[in-house]
Amino acid sequence: MRALTANRLADGEVVFWNHGRWVERFAEAQLFGDGDGAAAEAAEGHAKTETTLVVEPYLIDLIESGEVWAPLSYRERLRALGPTNHHHHGKQAEGGAIVEALQHASGAARSKGRVDLIKRK
Amino acid sequence: MYRYDTIDKEFLADRAAEFRGQVTRRLTGEITEDQFKPLRLMNGLYLQLHAYMLRIAIPYGSLNPTQLRKLAWIARTYDKGYGHFTTRTNLQFHWIKLADAPDILDHLASVDMHAIQTSGNCIRNTTADPWAGATPEEIDDPRVWSEAIRQWSSLHPEFSFLPRKFKIAITASAKDRTAARVHDIGLAIKRNRQGAMGFEVMVGGGLGATPYVGPTIREFLPAARLVSYLEAILRVYNRLGRRDNRTKARIKILVASLGAEEFGRQVEAEWEAMGPGSDLPDTELARIRAAFAPTAFETLPARSAAFEAAKGSDPAFARFVRNNVKPHKIPGYGIVEVSLKAIGETPGDATAEQMEVIADLGERYGQDDIRVTHEQNLVLPHVKLDDLPTVHAALAAAGLATPNINLISDIIACPGLDYCALANARAIPVAQHIAERFRDQDRAELIGELKIKISGCINACGHHHVGHIGILGVDKKGEEFYQLTLGGSGAEDASVGKVLGPALPANRVAEAIDTMVEVYLAQRQDGERFLDTLRRTGAAPFKEAVYADVH
Repeated sequence: MRALTANRLADGEVVFWNHGRWVERFAEAQLFGDGDGAAAEAAEGHAKTETTLVVEPYLIDLIESGEVWAPLSYRERLRALGPTNHHHHGKQAEGGAIVEALQHASGAARSKGRVDLIKRK
Repeated sequence: MYRYDTIDKEFLADRAAEFRGQVTRRLTGEITEDQFKPLRLMNGLYLQLHAYMLRIAIPYGSLNPTQLRKLAWIARTYDKGYGHFTTRTNLQFHWIKLADAPDILDHLASVDMHAIQTSGNCIRNTTADPWAGATPEEIDDPRVWSEAIRQWSSLHPEFSFLPRKFKIAITASAKDRTAARVHDIGLAIKRNRQGAMGFEVMVGGGLGATPYVGPTIREFLPAARLVSYLEAILRVYNRLGRRDNRTKARIKILVASLGAEEFGRQVEAEWEAMGPGSDLPDTELARIRAAFAPTAFETLPARSAAFEAAKGSDPAFARFVRNNVKPHKIPGYGIVEVSLKAIGETPGDATAEQMEVIADLGERYGQDDIRVTHEQNLVLPHVKLDDLPTVHAALAAAGLATPNINLISDIIACPGLDYCALANARAIPVAQHIAERFRDQDRAELIGELKIKISGCINACGHHHVGHIGILGVDKKGEEFYQLTLGGSGAEDASVGKVLGPALPANRVAEAIDTMVEVYLAQRQDGERFLDTLRRTGAAPFKEAVYADVH
């Protein structure tokens, strides 16, 4: 399972793709199943043309955590939640079951976002 | 404090207006992200994990109360009510919106501040001794020379596109509070046998993936020749520095590959060919020096009855004085270190309210002078001993009187993976766990000076290589692990720490530090700091204790 993410150009907010629009909550992200590879890549390709809306879109891998899907990489979970030193900052401030599930997810993998960033440098 | 003149002010206003136009063009799609990125970075604006980060220059770590109040106002208006002081003595805001950045630059310009040269391959903000103009150890005021460097280097066309970024530090006494030897250029103000003032010039220090302690290429440079000599160094670097490989582009790699002697020879040849033409005229130096003339210190007895009485009656004040108040060159005054390392809080962070408290104290009791240290603390450099009980009470009420300067909980930590797009692992929670573990102030004082420095990646913004104990966050298949290094120092006895052993999971780091502290306490001899004991015994007993349960 995968989701498409980016940072919004105007304010840097972490956003997720959902059928042609960008949403702020990971809980509202469109999930691409293993059979939806072509759709995921098409969405990523389209997102890369939305240069006045978002910066550096990329696909992230997801893992099952309890009853929900969570980003596999810890870095991506932090992006979907906010910093761990201020729990009232970032998306986690709103709370709820999905936020809690993300906070307790335990997958691990290198983040494609970071790898891409280092390559670009 | 140096005041900007009309030309400086007009320049800052123009620069902010220029950036406003660039932001507008980016938002409307007239320019691409690839075109815009170098422009925003030239104005200190990075895109990080959750938002944009704006890094604001605090030249040589020197602020006045008006400026600090403005930073507090920006924190409250445009950020989430706090800012993060960095190891480069700058301030970062981590929740900035691109569309707000031009307005913020306008507000900064209104108090002679900006974000120029806080990013990019240029000469960055000079680090200076935060006790400048206050410590009796000082040979000359390093702010004078730092300001001269600021004026010479700001947007210098020849040095705006160096192979990589370039950092200079100036230490002004035998005790180095700037980590000079791990800067691209470290300058130590000295007097020669004839009593003339000058600089020891160290070049090619640095941290990151390949740490070096910078070798001395000139034992004594006459002070008046500073700018031309710096220019000669930069010219050799600009000519020979690697531009084909970013990881080998810093001057430390050039100096190491040529050898300090050959690098120094080429600098001397360039310098000789240049002549003194680019040195500062004496009149200009005098003009800058006048801006740092000491404000009127009162003639006071060395002993303050109010101060002594408070020490006798208030153990918390006495502890604060022991750890956070340092001798001043003028009788009856003290240097007050304000710790931004409250136990359990984020190292280097200050809330808008705390910034305002410090600004008020600087104005009422501190001659309008506030400093930022590379160890992520603040300093009120000129406080009357008579006023210290009042200042301490105000700091305590604002959560700013943690008496831990140079102790185990005075930890440097970069923002790490909680904020930084480049980080491998978090640094802040590791610092918080360690500080919590050593919350007992009596034990912390018993342990004495112990510098822990934490970086979330090999770029080493948290100076882990020069921590007595360094902690580096590494990524093991996406999991946070922490590699410990031992024996580093960023002071006058500079050294690069050595890796202790295999990286540890996050939940074992504080315990490992505690284990090493116990080894130190068991082995130390009279007067030894942790670093002294370690240098005497070697790392073996520490390694054995930390990894005992692995065998």
